[in-house]
Amino acid sequence: MMWKHTQNIRRAAEAPFAFLVILILWEYGAGFIGVPEYILPVPTDIVGKFWQTLTIQAHHLGVTAATTMIGLAMALLIGVLLAMSVLYIRPMKAIVLPILAAFNSIPKIAIAPLFVIWFGLGVEPKILLAFLLGLFPVFVNSITGLGEIEPDVLDLARLAGGNELRIFTKVRLMNAVPYITDAIKVAFPLALVGSIVGEFIGGNNGVGYLILSGQFNMDTPLVFATLLSITLFTTVVIGLVVFLERVLLKWRPSRRKR
Amino acid sequence: MQTNTAVKVDRLTKIFDTGAAVEDLSFEIRENEFVALVGPSGCGKSTTLKIVSGLIPPTKGKVYIRNAQVQGPIADVGMVLQSPVLLPWRNSLENVLFTAEMGGRKPGGYHRRASELFKLASLEGFEKSYPHELSGGMQQRVAICRALLLDPSLLLMDEPFGALDVLTRERMGFELQRIWSASKTTVLLVTHSITEAVLLADTVIVMTARPGRIKAAIKVDLPRPRDVHTLREPRFIELTGAVRDNIEAQWVE
Ligand SMILES: Nc1ncnc2c1ncn2[C@@H]1O[C@H](COP(=O)(O)OP(=O)(O)OP(=O)(O)O)[C@@H](O)[C@H]1O
Ligand SMILES: [Mg+2]
Repeated sequence: MMWKHTQNIRRAAEAPFAFLVILILWEYGAGFIGVPEYILPVPTDIVGKFWQTLTIQAHHLGVTAATTMIGLAMALLIGVLLAMSVLYIRPMKAIVLPILAAFNSIPKIAIAPLFVIWFGLGVEPKILLAFLLGLFPVFVNSITGLGEIEPDVLDLARLAGGNELRIFTKVRLMNAVPYITDAIKVAFPLALVGSIVGEFIGGNNGVGYLILSGQFNMDTPLVFATLLSITLFTTVVIGLVVFLERVLLKWRPSRRKR
Repeated sequence: MQTNTAVKVDRLTKIFDTGAAVEDLSFEIRENEFVALVGPSGCGKSTTLKIVSGLIPPTKGKVYIRNAQVQGPIADVGMVLQSPVLLPWRNSLENVLFTAEMGGRKPGGYHRRASELFKLASLEGFEKSYPHELSGGMQQRVAICRALLLDPSLLLMDEPFGALDVLTRERMGFELQRIWSASKTTVLLVTHSITEAVLLADTVIVMTARPGRIKAAIKVDLPRPRDVHTLREPRFIELTGAVRDNIEAQWVE
Protein backbone atom coordinates (compact mmCIF):
# COMPACT_ATOMS: atom_id res chain seq x y z
CA MET A 1 0.00 0.00 0.00
CA MET A 2 2.66 2.43 1.14
CA TRP A 3 4.75 1.59 -1.87
CA LYS A 4 1.83 2.01 -4.24
CA HIS A 5 0.90 5.32 -2.64
CA THR A 6 4.33 6.91 -2.99
CA GLN A 7 4.49 5.57 -6.52
CA ASN A 8 1.21 7.29 -7.34
CA ILE A 9 2.44 10.59 -5.95
CA ARG A 10 5.63 10.27 -7.92
CA ARG A 11 3.76 9.55 -11.12
CA ALA A 12 1.36 12.46 -10.56
CA ALA A 13 4.26 14.80 -9.92
CA GLU A 14 6.36 13.69 -12.87
CA ALA A 15 4.59 15.61 -15.65
CA PRO A 16 4.37 19.03 -13.91
CA PHE A 17 7.97 18.65 -12.81
CA ALA A 18 9.18 17.93 -16.33
CA PHE A 19 7.11 20.88 -17.56
CA LEU A 20 8.69 23.15 -14.96
CA VAL A 21 12.19 22.05 -15.96
CA ILE A 22 11.45 22.87 -19.60
CA LEU A 23 10.09 26.30 -18.63
CA ILE A 24 13.21 27.11 -16.57
CA LEU A 25 15.53 25.95 -19.35
CA TRP A 26 13.52 28.01 -21.83
CA GLU A 27 13.49 31.11 -19.60
CA TYR A 28 17.23 31.19 -18.83
CA GLY A 29 18.58 29.20 -21.80
CA ALA A 30 17.04 31.54 -24.41
CA GLY A 31 18.58 34.60 -22.73
CA PHE A 32 21.91 32.82 -22.31
CA ILE A 33 22.19 31.84 -25.98
CA GLY A 34 20.82 35.23 -26.99
CA VAL A 35 17.68 34.38 -28.96
CA PRO A 36 15.91 37.68 -29.78
CA GLU A 37 12.37 38.18 -28.47
CA TYR A 38 10.80 38.38 -31.93
CA ILE A 39 12.03 34.82 -32.60
CA LEU A 40 11.26 33.18 -29.27
CA PRO A 41 9.98 35.19 -26.32
CA VAL A 42 10.69 33.73 -22.86
CA PRO A 43 7.85 32.38 -20.64
CA THR A 44 7.72 35.40 -18.32
CA ASP A 45 7.36 37.72 -21.33
CA ILE A 46 4.54 35.57 -22.70
CA VAL A 47 2.67 35.51 -19.40
CA GLY A 48 3.24 39.25 -19.08
CA LYS A 49 1.82 39.84 -22.54
CA PHE A 50 -1.09 37.53 -21.80
CA TRP A 51 -1.89 39.51 -18.66
CA GLN A 52 -1.54 42.82 -20.47
CA THR A 53 -3.89 41.79 -23.29
CA LEU A 54 -6.31 39.88 -21.05
CA THR A 55 -9.50 41.65 -22.19
CA ILE A 56 -8.55 41.40 -25.86
CA GLN A 57 -7.67 37.73 -25.39
CA ALA A 58 -10.97 37.08 -23.63
CA HIS A 59 -12.92 38.76 -26.42
CA HIS A 60 -11.25 36.91 -29.28
CA LEU A 61 -11.16 33.58 -27.46
CA GLY A 62 -14.85 34.03 -26.73
CA VAL A 63 -15.61 34.39 -30.44
CA THR A 64 -13.51 31.36 -31.38
CA ALA A 65 -14.94 29.27 -28.55
CA ALA A 66 -18.47 30.14 -29.66
CA THR A 67 -17.97 29.26 -33.34
CA THR A 68 -16.10 26.07 -32.39
CA MET A 69 -18.71 24.87 -29.93
CA ILE A 70 -21.64 25.74 -32.22
CA GLY A 71 -19.91 23.91 -35.09
CA LEU A 72 -19.19 20.94 -32.82
CA ALA A 73 -22.77 20.82 -31.56
CA MET A 74 -24.02 20.87 -35.15
CA ALA A 75 -21.56 18.12 -36.08
CA LEU A 76 -22.87 16.02 -33.18
CA LEU A 77 -26.50 16.55 -34.09
CA ILE A 78 -26.15 16.11 -37.85
CA GLY A 79 -23.59 13.30 -37.45
CA VAL A 80 -25.92 11.26 -35.26
CA LEU A 81 -28.94 12.02 -37.47
CA LEU A 82 -27.03 10.99 -40.60
CA ALA A 83 -25.93 7.78 -38.90
CA MET A 84 -29.56 7.10 -37.95
CA SER A 85 -30.72 7.70 -41.50
CA VAL A 86 -28.12 5.26 -42.81
CA LEU A 87 -29.17 2.76 -40.17
CA TYR A 88 -32.92 2.96 -40.66
CA ILE A 89 -33.47 4.01 -44.28
CA ARG A 90 -31.99 1.39 -46.51
CA PRO A 91 -31.41 3.49 -49.69
CA MET A 92 -29.73 6.20 -47.60
CA LYS A 93 -26.77 3.93 -47.04
CA ALA A 94 -26.05 3.83 -50.77
CA ILE A 95 -26.37 7.62 -51.00
CA VAL A 96 -24.89 9.03 -47.81
CA LEU A 97 -21.86 6.78 -47.37
CA PRO A 98 -20.15 7.42 -50.75
CA ILE A 99 -20.95 11.14 -50.67
CA LEU A 100 -19.54 11.56 -47.20
CA ALA A 101 -16.50 9.44 -47.96
CA ALA A 102 -15.79 11.46 -51.09
CA PHE A 103 -16.38 14.72 -49.25
CA ASN A 104 -14.10 13.64 -46.45
CA SER A 105 -11.24 13.12 -48.91
CA ILE A 106 -11.41 16.82 -49.95
CA PRO A 107 -9.18 18.91 -47.70
CA LYS A 108 -11.82 21.28 -46.28
CA ILE A 109 -9.14 23.87 -45.59
CA ALA A 110 -8.58 24.18 -49.34
CA ILE A 111 -12.18 25.14 -49.97
CA ALA A 112 -12.34 27.54 -47.01
CA PRO A 113 -11.82 30.64 -49.24
CA LEU A 114 -14.98 29.66 -51.12
CA PHE A 115 -16.95 29.93 -47.91
CA VAL A 116 -15.74 33.51 -47.50
CA ILE A 117 -17.02 34.30 -50.99
CA TRP A 118 -20.35 32.63 -50.24
CA PHE A 119 -20.94 33.62 -46.63
CA GLY A 120 -18.85 36.73 -46.05
CA LEU A 121 -16.53 37.68 -43.22
CA GLY A 122 -18.83 37.00 -40.27
CA VAL A 123 -19.08 33.94 -38.04
CA GLU A 124 -20.94 31.78 -40.59
CA PRO A 125 -17.96 30.45 -42.58
CA LYS A 126 -16.11 29.71 -39.30
CA ILE A 127 -19.03 27.74 -37.90
CA LEU A 128 -19.41 25.93 -41.21
CA LEU A 129 -15.72 24.94 -41.27
CA ALA A 130 -15.83 23.80 -37.63
CA PHE A 131 -18.95 21.78 -38.39
CA LEU A 132 -17.55 20.17 -41.55
CA LEU A 133 -14.29 19.17 -39.91
CA GLY A 134 -16.04 17.72 -36.86
CA LEU A 135 -18.76 15.91 -38.79
CA PHE A 136 -16.93 12.86 -40.12
CA PRO A 137 -15.56 11.43 -36.86
CA VAL A 138 -18.96 11.86 -35.21
CA PHE A 139 -20.74 10.19 -38.13
CA VAL A 140 -18.35 7.23 -38.32
CA ASN A 141 -18.42 6.57 -34.58
CA SER A 142 -22.20 6.95 -34.42
CA ILE A 143 -22.65 4.35 -37.14
CA THR A 144 -20.59 1.88 -35.14
CA GLY A 145 -22.10 2.78 -31.78
CA LEU A 146 -25.72 2.76 -32.91
CA GLY A 147 -25.41 -0.06 -35.40
CA GLU A 148 -23.16 -2.72 -33.96
CA ILE A 149 -25.40 -4.31 -31.36
CA GLU A 150 -25.01 -7.98 -30.50
CA PRO A 151 -27.72 -9.87 -32.43
CA ASP A 152 -28.64 -11.78 -29.25
CA VAL A 153 -29.41 -8.49 -27.47
CA LEU A 154 -31.73 -7.46 -30.28
CA ASP A 155 -33.42 -10.89 -30.22
CA LEU A 156 -34.07 -10.64 -26.48
CA ALA A 157 -35.33 -7.07 -26.84
CA ARG A 158 -37.77 -8.04 -29.61
CA LEU A 159 -39.04 -11.06 -27.68
CA ALA A 160 -39.70 -8.82 -24.70
CA GLY A 161 -41.90 -6.70 -26.96
CA GLY A 162 -39.40 -3.97 -27.75
CA ASN A 163 -40.39 -1.73 -30.66
CA GLU A 164 -37.78 0.18 -32.66
CA LEU A 165 -38.21 3.35 -30.59
CA ARG A 166 -37.58 1.59 -27.27
CA ILE A 167 -34.72 -0.40 -28.76
CA PHE A 168 -33.23 2.86 -30.04
CA THR A 169 -33.43 4.79 -26.78
CA LYS A 170 -32.61 1.97 -24.38
CA VAL A 171 -30.14 -0.10 -26.39
CA ARG A 172 -28.64 1.66 -29.42
CA LEU A 173 -28.21 5.11 -27.92
CA MET A 174 -26.76 3.75 -24.68
CA ASN A 175 -24.39 1.57 -26.67
CA ALA A 176 -23.29 4.62 -28.68
CA VAL A 177 -22.41 6.83 -25.68
CA PRO A 178 -18.75 5.77 -25.34
CA TYR A 179 -18.32 5.93 -29.12
CA ILE A 180 -19.68 9.47 -29.19
CA THR A 181 -17.56 10.74 -26.29
CA ASP A 182 -14.56 9.27 -28.11
CA ALA A 183 -15.67 11.06 -31.27
CA ILE A 184 -15.87 14.37 -29.38
CA LYS A 185 -12.24 14.02 -28.35
CA VAL A 186 -11.29 13.84 -32.03
CA ALA A 187 -13.91 16.22 -33.42
CA PHE A 188 -13.30 19.05 -30.95
CA PRO A 189 -9.67 19.77 -31.95
CA LEU A 190 -10.71 19.48 -35.60
CA ALA A 191 -13.58 21.93 -35.12
CA LEU A 192 -11.14 24.32 -33.44
CA VAL A 193 -8.81 24.06 -36.44
CA GLY A 194 -11.83 24.85 -38.65
CA SER A 195 -12.65 28.00 -36.68
CA ILE A 196 -9.06 29.25 -36.59
CA VAL A 197 -8.47 28.63 -40.29
CA GLY A 198 -11.69 30.51 -40.97
CA GLU A 199 -10.36 33.42 -38.93
CA PHE A 200 -7.04 33.31 -40.78
CA ILE A 201 -8.69 33.88 -44.13
CA GLY A 202 -11.19 36.59 -43.29
CA GLY A 203 -12.75 38.84 -40.69
CA ASN A 204 -11.33 40.65 -37.70
CA ASN A 205 -12.39 38.47 -34.80
CA GLY A 206 -11.19 35.37 -33.04
CA VAL A 207 -7.83 34.00 -31.91
CA GLY A 208 -6.89 33.23 -35.51
CA TYR A 209 -7.20 36.91 -36.33
CA LEU A 210 -5.25 37.86 -33.18
CA ILE A 211 -2.38 35.56 -34.18
CA LEU A 212 -2.33 37.03 -37.67
CA SER A 213 -2.21 40.58 -36.35
CA GLY A 214 0.62 39.52 -34.04
CA GLN A 215 2.45 38.22 -37.08
CA PHE A 216 1.91 41.42 -39.09
CA ASN A 217 3.37 43.55 -36.29
CA MET A 218 6.18 41.09 -35.59
CA ASP A 219 4.67 40.95 -32.10
CA THR A 220 5.81 37.39 -31.37
CA PRO A 221 4.91 37.60 -27.64
CA LEU A 222 1.30 38.32 -28.68
CA VAL A 223 1.29 35.22 -30.89
CA PHE A 224 2.53 33.10 -28.00
CA ALA A 225 0.13 34.72 -25.52
CA THR A 226 -2.73 33.82 -27.88
CA LEU A 227 -1.45 30.24 -28.12
CA LEU A 228 -1.60 30.21 -24.34
CA SER A 229 -5.27 31.30 -24.50
CA ILE A 230 -6.04 28.51 -26.95
CA THR A 231 -4.30 25.95 -24.75
CA LEU A 232 -6.33 27.05 -21.74
CA PHE A 233 -9.52 26.66 -23.78
CA THR A 234 -8.69 23.16 -25.07
CA THR A 235 -7.66 22.06 -21.59
CA VAL A 236 -11.00 23.15 -20.17
CA VAL A 237 -13.01 21.45 -22.92
CA ILE A 238 -11.07 18.16 -22.80
CA GLY A 239 -11.42 18.28 -19.00
CA LEU A 240 -15.18 18.64 -19.42
CA VAL A 241 -15.32 15.67 -21.80
CA VAL A 242 -13.33 13.52 -19.38
CA PHE A 243 -15.69 14.57 -16.59
CA LEU A 244 -18.69 13.73 -18.76
CA GLU A 245 -17.21 10.29 -19.42
CA ARG A 246 -16.73 9.72 -15.70
CA VAL A 247 -20.40 10.44 -15.10
CA LEU A 248 -21.90 8.67 -18.12
CA LEU A 249 -19.57 5.69 -18.26
CA LYS A 250 -19.30 4.78 -14.60
CA TRP A 251 -20.33 1.26 -15.58
CA ARG A 252 -17.10 0.72 -17.48
CA PRO A 253 -14.51 -1.53 -15.86
CA SER A 254 -12.02 0.96 -14.49
CA ARG A 255 -8.39 0.53 -15.33
CA ARG A 256 -7.24 1.95 -12.03
CA LYS A 257 -8.91 -0.66 -9.86
CA ARG A 258 -7.27 -3.53 -11.68
CA MET B 1 -54.79 -31.05 -32.18
CA GLN B 2 -55.40 -31.51 -28.47
CA THR B 3 -56.62 -28.49 -26.57
CA ASN B 4 -53.88 -28.68 -23.96
CA THR B 5 -51.09 -28.45 -26.52
CA ALA B 6 -48.85 -25.47 -25.71
CA VAL B 7 -46.41 -25.78 -28.60
CA LYS B 8 -46.87 -27.66 -31.84
CA VAL B 9 -44.03 -27.91 -34.31
CA ASP B 10 -45.35 -29.21 -37.60
CA ARG B 11 -43.00 -30.60 -40.28
CA LEU B 12 -40.49 -27.84 -39.78
CA THR B 13 -37.67 -27.39 -42.27
CA LYS B 14 -35.04 -24.66 -42.19
CA ILE B 15 -32.55 -24.29 -45.00
CA PHE B 16 -29.65 -21.84 -44.67
CA ASP B 17 -27.09 -20.94 -47.32
CA THR B 18 -25.00 -23.66 -45.73
CA GLY B 19 -27.74 -26.25 -46.33
CA ALA B 20 -30.58 -27.74 -44.32
CA ALA B 21 -30.27 -27.22 -40.56
CA VAL B 22 -33.48 -29.00 -39.57
CA GLU B 23 -35.65 -31.17 -41.78
CA ASP B 24 -39.23 -32.27 -41.36
CA LEU B 25 -39.15 -31.82 -37.61
CA SER B 26 -42.39 -32.41 -35.72
CA PHE B 27 -43.13 -32.54 -32.00
CA GLU B 28 -45.66 -31.29 -29.50
CA ILE B 29 -45.32 -29.89 -26.01
CA ARG B 30 -48.27 -30.15 -23.67
CA GLU B 31 -49.26 -27.29 -21.40
CA ASN B 32 -47.00 -27.30 -18.31
CA GLU B 33 -44.77 -29.95 -19.77
CA PHE B 34 -41.01 -29.82 -19.33
CA VAL B 35 -39.29 -30.91 -22.52
CA ALA B 36 -35.55 -31.28 -23.00
CA LEU B 37 -34.04 -31.19 -26.47
CA VAL B 38 -30.73 -33.03 -26.92
CA GLY B 39 -28.67 -33.85 -29.97
CA PRO B 40 -25.22 -33.57 -31.47
CA SER B 41 -23.69 -30.15 -31.98
CA GLY B 42 -24.91 -28.38 -35.11
CA CYS B 43 -28.08 -30.45 -35.42
CA GLY B 44 -30.31 -27.40 -35.29
CA LYS B 45 -31.39 -27.12 -31.66
CA SER B 46 -30.78 -23.38 -31.41
CA THR B 47 -32.37 -22.91 -34.82
CA THR B 48 -35.48 -24.79 -33.69
CA LEU B 49 -35.70 -22.62 -30.57
CA LYS B 50 -35.40 -19.44 -32.61
CA ILE B 51 -38.13 -20.57 -35.01
CA VAL B 52 -40.43 -21.52 -32.12
CA SER B 53 -39.92 -18.05 -30.61
CA GLY B 54 -40.72 -16.44 -33.96
CA LEU B 55 -37.37 -14.70 -34.25
CA ILE B 56 -36.57 -16.40 -37.55
CA PRO B 57 -39.09 -17.78 -40.06
CA PRO B 58 -39.06 -21.45 -41.08
CA THR B 59 -38.37 -22.38 -44.71
CA LYS B 60 -41.21 -24.89 -44.62
CA GLY B 61 -43.64 -26.06 -41.99
CA LYS B 62 -45.46 -24.26 -39.20
CA VAL B 63 -45.24 -23.59 -35.49
CA TYR B 64 -48.32 -23.08 -33.31
CA ILE B 65 -48.30 -21.67 -29.80
CA ARG B 66 -51.60 -22.42 -28.09
CA ASN B 67 -53.25 -22.97 -31.48
CA ALA B 68 -52.09 -19.65 -32.93
CA GLN B 69 -49.60 -19.84 -35.76
CA VAL B 70 -46.29 -18.13 -35.00
CA GLN B 71 -45.62 -15.34 -37.48
CA GLY B 72 -43.24 -13.03 -35.62
CA PRO B 73 -41.64 -12.64 -32.19
CA ILE B 74 -44.08 -14.21 -29.75
CA ALA B 75 -45.25 -12.60 -26.52
CA ASP B 76 -45.40 -14.03 -23.01
CA VAL B 77 -42.14 -15.93 -23.40
CA GLY B 78 -38.93 -16.02 -21.41
CA MET B 79 -35.70 -16.71 -23.26
CA VAL B 80 -32.36 -17.70 -21.78
CA LEU B 81 -29.35 -18.14 -24.05
CA GLN B 82 -26.06 -19.90 -23.52
CA SER B 83 -24.24 -16.63 -22.83
CA PRO B 84 -25.85 -14.15 -20.44
CA VAL B 85 -26.07 -11.24 -22.95
CA LEU B 86 -26.43 -8.57 -20.28
CA LEU B 87 -26.25 -4.87 -21.11
CA PRO B 88 -22.93 -3.66 -19.68
CA TRP B 89 -24.26 -0.18 -18.80
CA ARG B 90 -27.05 -1.58 -16.63
CA ASN B 91 -26.57 -3.04 -13.17
CA SER B 92 -28.08 -6.46 -12.37
CA LEU B 93 -31.40 -5.06 -11.22
CA GLU B 94 -31.73 -2.82 -14.28
CA ASN B 95 -30.83 -5.75 -16.50
CA VAL B 96 -33.60 -7.85 -14.98
CA LEU B 97 -36.08 -4.98 -15.37
CA PHE B 98 -35.09 -4.69 -19.05
CA THR B 99 -37.77 -7.25 -19.95
CA ALA B 100 -40.47 -5.06 -18.43
CA GLU B 101 -39.17 -1.86 -20.02
CA MET B 102 -38.96 -3.38 -23.50
CA GLY B 103 -42.60 -4.37 -23.17
CA GLY B 104 -43.44 -0.74 -22.50
CA ARG B 105 -44.14 -1.30 -18.79
CA LYS B 106 -43.02 1.03 -16.01
CA PRO B 107 -40.11 -0.78 -14.31
CA GLY B 108 -41.10 0.64 -10.90
CA GLY B 109 -43.85 -1.91 -10.42
CA TYR B 110 -41.50 -4.87 -10.83
CA HIS B 111 -38.98 -4.21 -8.08
CA ARG B 112 -40.70 -6.60 -5.67
CA ARG B 113 -40.79 -9.43 -8.15
CA ALA B 114 -37.16 -8.71 -9.09
CA SER B 115 -35.95 -8.94 -5.49
CA GLU B 116 -37.87 -12.20 -5.07
CA LEU B 117 -36.02 -13.57 -8.06
CA PHE B 118 -32.66 -12.30 -6.79
CA LYS B 119 -33.30 -14.20 -3.59
CA LEU B 120 -34.25 -17.31 -5.51
CA ALA B 121 -31.05 -17.14 -7.56
CA SER B 122 -28.88 -16.36 -4.49
CA LEU B 123 -27.99 -12.96 -5.90
CA GLU B 124 -29.11 -10.82 -2.97
CA GLY B 125 -26.78 -7.88 -2.45
CA PHE B 126 -25.67 -7.81 -6.07
CA GLU B 127 -28.58 -5.75 -7.39
CA LYS B 128 -26.36 -2.70 -7.92
CA SER B 129 -23.39 -4.57 -9.40
CA TYR B 130 -22.51 -4.13 -13.05
CA PRO B 131 -22.04 -7.22 -15.24
CA HIS B 132 -18.24 -6.89 -15.28
CA GLU B 133 -18.28 -7.12 -11.50
CA LEU B 134 -20.04 -10.51 -11.54
CA SER B 135 -18.72 -14.00 -12.27
CA GLY B 136 -19.91 -15.79 -15.40
CA GLY B 137 -22.26 -17.97 -13.37
CA MET B 138 -23.73 -14.97 -11.57
CA GLN B 139 -24.28 -13.20 -14.88
CA GLN B 140 -26.13 -16.25 -16.17
CA ARG B 141 -28.33 -16.28 -13.06
CA VAL B 142 -29.17 -12.61 -13.72
CA ALA B 143 -30.14 -13.62 -17.26
CA ILE B 144 -32.44 -16.32 -15.87
CA CYS B 145 -34.06 -13.81 -13.49
CA ARG B 146 -34.59 -11.49 -16.45
CA ALA B 147 -36.41 -14.26 -18.35
CA LEU B 148 -38.62 -15.03 -15.33
CA LEU B 149 -39.53 -11.44 -14.40
CA LEU B 150 -42.93 -11.41 -16.09
CA ASP B 151 -43.81 -15.02 -15.18
CA PRO B 152 -43.95 -16.14 -18.82
CA SER B 153 -46.16 -19.08 -19.67
CA LEU B 154 -43.44 -20.45 -21.97
CA LEU B 155 -39.77 -20.66 -21.10
CA LEU B 156 -37.26 -21.26 -23.90
CA MET B 157 -33.75 -22.06 -22.74
CA ASP B 158 -30.74 -22.64 -24.97
CA GLU B 159 -28.08 -24.40 -22.90
CA PRO B 160 -28.66 -21.95 -20.05
CA PHE B 161 -26.32 -23.72 -17.63
CA GLY B 162 -23.52 -24.42 -20.09
CA ALA B 163 -21.18 -21.83 -18.57
CA LEU B 164 -21.72 -22.93 -14.96
CA ASP B 165 -19.61 -25.30 -12.87
CA VAL B 166 -21.10 -28.74 -12.21
CA LEU B 167 -22.35 -28.04 -8.67
CA THR B 168 -23.92 -24.66 -9.47
CA ARG B 169 -25.36 -26.19 -12.57
CA GLU B 170 -27.04 -28.94 -10.56
CA ARG B 171 -28.41 -26.43 -8.06
CA MET B 172 -29.75 -24.16 -10.79
CA GLY B 173 -31.36 -27.19 -12.41
CA PHE B 174 -33.25 -28.09 -9.23
CA GLU B 175 -34.08 -24.41 -8.79
CA LEU B 176 -35.53 -24.40 -12.29
CA GLN B 177 -37.59 -27.50 -11.43
CA ARG B 178 -38.92 -25.71 -8.36
CA ILE B 179 -39.79 -22.55 -10.28
CA TRP B 180 -41.42 -24.62 -12.98
CA SER B 181 -43.57 -26.67 -10.60
CA ALA B 182 -44.53 -23.58 -8.60
CA SER B 183 -45.51 -21.47 -11.60
CA LYS B 184 -46.48 -24.26 -13.97
CA THR B 185 -44.95 -22.77 -17.05
CA THR B 186 -44.14 -24.81 -20.12
CA VAL B 187 -40.42 -25.33 -20.62
CA LEU B 188 -38.36 -26.19 -23.68
CA LEU B 189 -34.77 -26.70 -22.59
CA VAL B 190 -31.88 -27.30 -24.98
CA THR B 191 -29.03 -29.03 -23.21
CA HIS B 192 -25.85 -30.96 -23.90
CA SER B 193 -26.10 -32.88 -20.67
CA ILE B 194 -28.00 -36.17 -20.82
CA THR B 195 -28.09 -36.28 -17.02
CA GLU B 196 -29.62 -32.83 -16.84
CA ALA B 197 -32.17 -33.68 -19.53
CA VAL B 198 -33.41 -36.84 -17.80
CA LEU B 199 -33.26 -35.29 -14.34
CA LEU B 200 -35.43 -32.30 -15.23
CA ALA B 201 -37.66 -33.21 -18.16
CA ASP B 202 -40.97 -35.02 -18.62
CA THR B 203 -39.95 -35.81 -22.17
CA VAL B 204 -36.49 -35.93 -23.70
CA ILE B 205 -36.44 -35.34 -27.43
CA VAL B 206 -33.32 -36.66 -29.16
CA MET B 207 -32.45 -35.11 -32.51
CA THR B 208 -30.36 -36.68 -35.24
CA ALA B 209 -27.18 -35.13 -36.58
CA ARG B 210 -27.57 -32.34 -39.12
CA PRO B 211 -30.05 -31.96 -40.72
CA GLY B 212 -31.92 -32.39 -37.46
CA ARG B 213 -34.86 -34.76 -37.35
CA ILE B 214 -36.52 -36.47 -34.41
CA LYS B 215 -34.58 -39.57 -33.43
CA ALA B 216 -36.60 -40.48 -30.35
CA ALA B 217 -38.92 -38.98 -27.75
CA ILE B 218 -38.33 -40.60 -24.39
CA LYS B 219 -40.90 -40.22 -21.60
CA VAL B 220 -39.30 -39.78 -18.20
CA ASP B 221 -41.59 -41.40 -15.60
CA LEU B 222 -39.52 -40.57 -12.54
CA PRO B 223 -41.51 -39.16 -9.60
CA ARG B 224 -41.24 -35.47 -8.69
CA PRO B 225 -39.76 -33.58 -7.08
CA ARG B 226 -36.49 -35.05 -8.22
CA ASP B 227 -33.32 -34.40 -6.26
CA VAL B 228 -29.75 -35.65 -5.93
CA HIS B 229 -31.05 -39.06 -4.83
CA THR B 230 -32.84 -39.47 -8.13
CA LEU B 231 -29.41 -39.62 -9.75
CA ARG B 232 -28.79 -43.01 -8.09
CA GLU B 233 -32.13 -44.64 -8.87
CA PRO B 234 -31.97 -47.62 -11.24
CA ARG B 235 -34.78 -46.18 -13.36
CA PHE B 236 -32.81 -42.95 -13.79
CA ILE B 237 -29.73 -44.86 -14.90
CA GLU B 238 -31.87 -46.90 -17.26
CA LEU B 239 -33.37 -43.79 -18.86
CA THR B 240 -30.06 -41.94 -19.29
CA GLY B 241 -28.79 -45.14 -20.91
CA ALA B 242 -31.71 -45.11 -23.33
CA VAL B 243 -31.05 -41.46 -24.28
CA ARG B 244 -27.35 -42.18 -24.66
CA ASP B 245 -28.05 -45.21 -26.89
CA ASN B 246 -30.15 -43.05 -29.17
CA ILE B 247 -27.41 -40.46 -29.52
CA GLU B 248 -24.61 -42.97 -29.93
CA ALA B 249 -26.55 -45.04 -32.43
CA GLN B 250 -25.96 -42.19 -34.87
CA TRP B 251 -22.21 -42.51 -34.60
CA VAL B 252 -22.42 -46.12 -35.71
CA GLU B 253 -24.65 -45.33 -38.68
N1 LIG C 1 -27.62 -17.79 -39.59
C1 LIG C 1 -27.15 -18.93 -40.12
N2 LIG C 1 -26.70 -18.95 -41.39
C2 LIG C 1 -26.24 -20.08 -41.94
N3 LIG C 1 -26.20 -21.26 -41.32
C3 LIG C 1 -26.63 -21.31 -40.05
C4 LIG C 1 -27.14 -20.16 -39.38
N4 LIG C 1 -27.51 -20.52 -38.13
C5 LIG C 1 -27.24 -21.82 -38.02
N5 LIG C 1 -26.73 -22.32 -39.16
C6 LIG C 1 -26.36 -23.71 -39.43
O1 LIG C 1 -27.41 -24.53 -39.00
C7 LIG C 1 -26.94 -25.64 -38.30
C8 LIG C 1 -27.64 -25.74 -36.97
O2 LIG C 1 -27.21 -24.69 -36.14
P1 LIG C 1 -27.69 -24.56 -34.64
O3 LIG C 1 -27.04 -23.37 -34.05
O4 LIG C 1 -29.17 -24.61 -34.60
O5 LIG C 1 -27.09 -25.88 -34.00
P2 LIG C 1 -27.17 -26.40 -32.51
O6 LIG C 1 -27.87 -27.70 -32.51
O7 LIG C 1 -27.72 -25.36 -31.63
O8 LIG C 1 -25.63 -26.65 -32.19
P3 LIG C 1 -24.88 -26.48 -30.80
O9 LIG C 1 -25.25 -27.64 -29.97
O10 LIG C 1 -23.43 -26.54 -31.20
O11 LIG C 1 -25.28 -25.19 -30.22
C9 LIG C 1 -25.45 -25.49 -38.17
O12 LIG C 1 -24.82 -26.46 -38.97
C10 LIG C 1 -25.13 -24.10 -38.64
O13 LIG C 1 -24.02 -24.13 -39.48
MG1 LIG D 1 -26.92 -24.09 -30.13
